[in-house]
Amino acid sequence: MSGSFTMPRVIDVAQARRESGPVQREVVFEVQGLTVNYGRATTAVSDVDLEIYRNLITAVIGPSGCGKSTFIRCLNRMNDLVPGAKIEGRILYHGDDLYASGVDPVEVRRRIGMVFQKANPFPKSIYDNVAWGPRVLGMKKNVDERVENALRSAALWEEVKDRLKKNALSLSGGQQQRLCIARAIAIEPEVLLLDEPASALDPIATSAIEDLMHELKRDYTLVIVTHNMQQAARVADLTAFFSLEVDDHRRTGVLVEYDATDKIFTNPSDKRTEDYVTGRFG
Amino acid sequence: MRTTFQEELDQLEVTLQEEGALVLRALRGAINALEQRDHELADEVIAFDDDVDERYIRIEEGIQLLLARQTPVASDLRLVLAILHVNLHLERMADYCVTIAKLSKLVPEVDPGPRFVEGFEEMGSRCEEMIRIALDSFGNRDLEGAESLVDLDELVDRANRRVVQRILELGEDPEMREYGLRMVIVSRALERIGDHAVDIGEQTAYLLTAEFREFTDASHPTPREA
Repeated sequence: MSGSFTMPRVIDVAQARRESGPVQREVVFEVQGLTVNYGRATTAVSDVDLEIYRNLITAVIGPSGCGKSTFIRCLNRMNDLVPGAKIEGRILYHGDDLYASGVDPVEVRRRIGMVFQKANPFPKSIYDNVAWGPRVLGMKKNVDERVENALRSAALWEEVKDRLKKNALSLSGGQQQRLCIARAIAIEPEVLLLDEPASALDPIATSAIEDLMHELKRDYTLVIVTHNMQQAARVADLTAFFSLEVDDHRRTGVLVEYDATDKIFTNPSDKRTEDYVTGRFG
Repeated sequence: MRTTFQEELDQLEVTLQEEGALVLRALRGAINALEQRDHELADEVIAFDDDVDERYIRIEEGIQLLLARQTPVASDLRLVLAILHVNLHLERMADYCVTIAKLSKLVPEVDPGPRFVEGFEEMGSRCEEMIRIALDSFGNRDLEGAESLVDLDELVDRANRRVVQRILELGEDPEMREYGLRMVIVSRALERIGDHAVDIGEQTAYLLTAEFREFTDASHPTPREA
């Protein structure tokens, strides 16, 4: 069939969204044959192909060492900062190669923000934590409004509006993590990458982050790495399961299955996925 | 607060109540088709079952996803399990309505007198009342209302016995006997609808008390039932 390349891509997320038929979604990332090596001995992930869609939450799950964090860090070139990391294959962001020469990694990270496992606010005021990114990037108009909007979007405004000048480190762990999300969205990225954002939080703070993710996906595309399978089940529209293959004592992360979260948790196609989600492996 | 989970749970209950409303319509249609010998209406009732089945399947799928993705516990778990059972009871009631509608088309052109119409009208009305109470007490978490279904069911059972007695008195005429044979099944279908309403009441009690118990037990009847 000719001309199919110009057709909008289609993924069936009907189950996830209670919609009646296949839904057309804009592709944000197109990952093609991604392989990441750390030195000669370690292949963190091998030959990954997948697409990430706009305004959906995509979860990446899998056992320790399967390369899920490596994968997500490739999406905003955070692995550039890791000595010895060698990246092959292509990652297209809205059709443009993220790793092409001339692409500014700082601009990439402005558009594709990241929140880490451990909340890492600056030892400054709550206000300054959020205002810092916009100021550095020259977004100097209406900073107060920008800070308020970001804190509101991160569901933190009501809790901190009367103490914006207080040190961010005085906040609870869950509040600090939401502050980091506010900091990430203050510079208006399109994508938010979340690497184990709730693994250091108690269940109530985790629940707040999960509710927040549902709110955020109206405006952002979210990719979350989690080793908490139930968290992926609760929040994600699509889930990618990575696993480890061991061959000649060499461990390699591979993408086993990528599908609607409903499918992954009710009727996965691959036995390795079934074994992982039922707790028989990993 | 798990907003999405709560929304999904609420939506399941809304769909369940919708399914209940459809069953009520199916039952009224089946009784009218039978009383008025209206074959067109009977066909509508039969086709209408698809609407009930659509809700039934939607709830089944919703529960599957909720269990797989949200791991409900405590009262949430009981609610999900209760909805699973109530859904099945409602779907079975709708199937009995289809049975009545089909039988209403098969009866020969005989006139057994007004007593049968009166008997089925009584059973049908009582079943409608039971379904309403079953759905309301489930929705309102009303244990007393749920338990009241036992006494109402006893009235349906008595009406069933009266109808059967009248059938035995229909005589030797082959067409009358055929009519009687069909009406035994109609009466039994209505009696079973009443039983399913009681079963829904038991699910309400389970939801509220976390105890698995039957309101009545045929193998160990209370003195009054015996």
